[in-house]
Amino acid sequence: MITTTLKASLLAAALGFAVVAHAAEAPMPKELPPYGPERPLPVPQITQRTLPNGLTVWVIPRNGLPKVNVQLAVLGGTSYDDAQHPAQAELMAALFNEGTDKLSSKQIAEKLQAIGGDYGASAGRDSIGVSASALASHSDELLELVADTALHPSFPAKEVTLEKTNALQTLKVNEADPDWQSMRAFNHAVYGDHPYARDALTEASIQAITPESLHPLHDQRMRPERALLVVVGKVDAEQVLKTIEQQFGSWKAQGPAPADVLAVPTTVSAQKLLVARTGAVQTNIRYGQPTAPMRDPDFIPLTVANTVLGGGFSSRITQDIREDKGYSYSPYSTLDVRRNGGNTLSVVDVRNEVTGATLGELSKLYQGMGTEPASPEELMRAKRLIAGIYLLRNQIQSALANTLARYWVSGMPPSFMTTYVTDTGKVTAEQVQAMGRKYFAPEKQSIILVGDPKAIDPQLKAIGSFTPYKP
Amino acid sequence: MRTSRMPALIAGLLFAVTAHAADTDHWQLPVAVKKLDNGLTVVVSEDHSSPTVGISTVYHVGMRLEPQNRTGFAHLFEHLMFEGTPNAPKGTFDRVVQGGGGVFNGSTRADYTNYIASAPISALEPLLWIEADRMKTLDFSDKNLDNQRNVVKEEIRVNVKNQPYGLFFWTDLDALAFDKWPNKHDGYGSFEDLDHASIADVKAFHDTFYQPANAVLGISGDVTPEQAFALAQKYFGAIPSRPLPARPDVSEPLNTKGRHLEQTDALAKAPAIAVGWKAPDRGSKDQMPMLVLAQLLVGDDASRFYQGLVKGREQLLQIQGGVNFALGSGTDYAGPTLFGLFAIYKPNAQPDQVLAALNEEIAKVAHDGVDDATLARVKTKMLSDWYGGMEDFLSRADTLAKLQTLWGDANVVNQVPGWINQVTADDVRRVAQTYLTDANRSVIIRRPVAAHGKDAGAKPAKH
Repeated sequence: MITTTLKASLLAAALGFAVVAHAAEAPMPKELPPYGPERPLPVPQITQRTLPNGLTVWVIPRNGLPKVNVQLAVLGGTSYDDAQHPAQAELMAALFNEGTDKLSSKQIAEKLQAIGGDYGASAGRDSIGVSASALASHSDELLELVADTALHPSFPAKEVTLEKTNALQTLKVNEADPDWQSMRAFNHAVYGDHPYARDALTEASIQAITPESLHPLHDQRMRPERALLVVVGKVDAEQVLKTIEQQFGSWKAQGPAPADVLAVPTTVSAQKLLVARTGAVQTNIRYGQPTAPMRDPDFIPLTVANTVLGGGFSSRITQDIREDKGYSYSPYSTLDVRRNGGNTLSVVDVRNEVTGATLGELSKLYQGMGTEPASPEELMRAKRLIAGIYLLRNQIQSALANTLARYWVSGMPPSFMTTYVTDTGKVTAEQVQAMGRKYFAPEKQSIILVGDPKAIDPQLKAIGSFTPYKP
Repeated sequence: MRTSRMPALIAGLLFAVTAHAADTDHWQLPVAVKKLDNGLTVVVSEDHSSPTVGISTVYHVGMRLEPQNRTGFAHLFEHLMFEGTPNAPKGTFDRVVQGGGGVFNGSTRADYTNYIASAPISALEPLLWIEADRMKTLDFSDKNLDNQRNVVKEEIRVNVKNQPYGLFFWTDLDALAFDKWPNKHDGYGSFEDLDHASIADVKAFHDTFYQPANAVLGISGDVTPEQAFALAQKYFGAIPSRPLPARPDVSEPLNTKGRHLEQTDALAKAPAIAVGWKAPDRGSKDQMPMLVLAQLLVGDDASRFYQGLVKGREQLLQIQGGVNFALGSGTDYAGPTLFGLFAIYKPNAQPDQVLAALNEEIAKVAHDGVDDATLARVKTKMLSDWYGGMEDFLSRADTLAKLQTLWGDANVVNQVPGWINQVTADDVRRVAQTYLTDANRSVIIRRPVAAHGKDAGAKPAKH
């Protein structure tokens, strides 16, 4: 069903392109051959199972590449951390592979190496995630290792101390990184007091951590009924499910679950913040506002609108700010939408002397999203890019596992990975313009600048008053 | 019965100590190669598991061959390849690729420049047409040159001038370790040289290096070799070739005296160190053993440097490195390169202690070699990573095109796993002894401005 709908809508889009291409933009070269016929979009075949303890399991067997990818996602990320100790979940996840009841940190590293493995554990705003891979013949050992590290970390005192020391030093290193500085300020501006702002460790939250505090935190967060396990690769589904039952079947929730996180308020007033970076030769501009959660009907048309604005090389932002003005190397806009809300964001790094001019361009481009409808060719390109990226994600095992987990964490069904493409295919220019008015009005965007105040202050007068940001 | 069981048992035991990868993990990629009459080599790897295609056009020219008073020119030129032609004006390229649902990029390295795209298979013909179009000629306009000169300067500001550490472990380490200009100059380029670049330079570079005989077209995905060869002939077959200049001899012997440099960093807040040893030549008998040694020393969390210095001595916050670090891999170079390291060290450590600790870890391998179990683990990880690097069609097309360009043989893709497997503990010990010596080592210590003053007062800097 999904396949046929997709094929039809993409064909329609392709035909639409042939007709309208000449109307909106310069004609395409005469000799350019036409695009070939569309092939049906592949839909991942997911074997789904729910274990008696509530763990949701999805297995997608593949052929070819002799590797297997595993993704575990548990609802309990940094937005469940308390305001005084932001991002403690991040440090906890980083300690998963530093020792378990059975294995030392070094033994875990050597076991992984022996199966051709990669392993990463981290905490995002909504969830704690473990991503791991290995050669396919070692899928059982990989699942055993993921279960052991995620469910039974022992938080050895020596490893906790080293992790804390390194986290404090990493904080210092990050303070020198303008991108990191800009995103900390941006999240503060967009999310304010909402728990989504608690995504970066502070000195206080690092200092407060002990092995004794980590065990109850682990009990509260790591719960099977709030977890999804995805396995993609050259495996036999039934064999993998058996191993998963062995390794994850005895997992039980301990104590009470964390309280739900409320939706992000979208009515906060826009802020203008300046992060001083003396001697900087560039200004890092971050420009955006909060959005509704992914389950909101806005998400689909907003995705198309964002792609038109700054989502690909032929987008308005890239064509104007890079290709016409030469102000920036890699300007783009992105949508970061999750379970309880999200944000729009433009990322534009420019030399000091064109900071004011770039902010003027951004304001015009954002205004234009509400006043200048997307041309048929712009709309077609945005939809084709979205469908093309779907195909790419579907091709790469880790990307497929990660995308499925991200949608699940955001409260969407497994079919969303594909219906998202069909639904964006139906979005009209009017819907895109409505999203422009709702989410891209320049006066509603918070503006964060990281740069040298002396070099850029005179250019900011026309834009408004910027408050110095102090974390 | 007994006789037939014994060999199986022995084989099983041998297997356990030589490799952890099972037979089922073996992966042979289909590789079809054809050279067109005009010299363009086409490499195809067929795979119908996804209705998409990856395309990589690799030109055998990079930073090493840019003109001497034009640092950064090969990279600036790469940008101009996206800026239109007389047939397809500026903006057309972006519209054609994105309209086909595709994504694209390009990158410039020491020995090659690649142009990559990935898209639904329905876009294959338009993508090949537009790739061929810019191989013929470009829109040699001053306006485009000025525009991209500004864009490239912004790129350098983002990655170097406004960034802590500013990629010193690439540009500054190369400048210190190498003696010949093609190997040691800054491939990102000085703003002064970028300012001097002219349309005449752009035209000369295109005329000399951007032609079929100096290029390999890699195609991987939902297409048969016959279809791909026919399309390559259709769109590229009529592009004429011109004589290519002789390649200069860029080879350099190993260094015979250690080199040391101290720098300050106005942006960084923690001190860092970069170390590089001149590495074996591409295709030499020492190359694969060196790749195994690099994996053993710094490849992952089980590696000797990580376990010895991040864990163990707790001197480092992080360490990364490898052969042809930081801009490439152990198989995509064709001239002198380094086994390079970049590490951020902690307030409790001094750079001399870090260097001594690295040497202690190296000495263990140089004296004792490596035990069978560890060697087997390291090889298994390398095999897994090698396969992983070929997962998506784009990486596959790009790897094949690069191997064809730099090794003269795309089939190397299926030989590397066997070559890795053949490396012995003695090989690893030999390359550790030969290459990872103090005489062949270049070191840069880079401290935050304030900390440097303090350190320098306490301890005179070496040079």
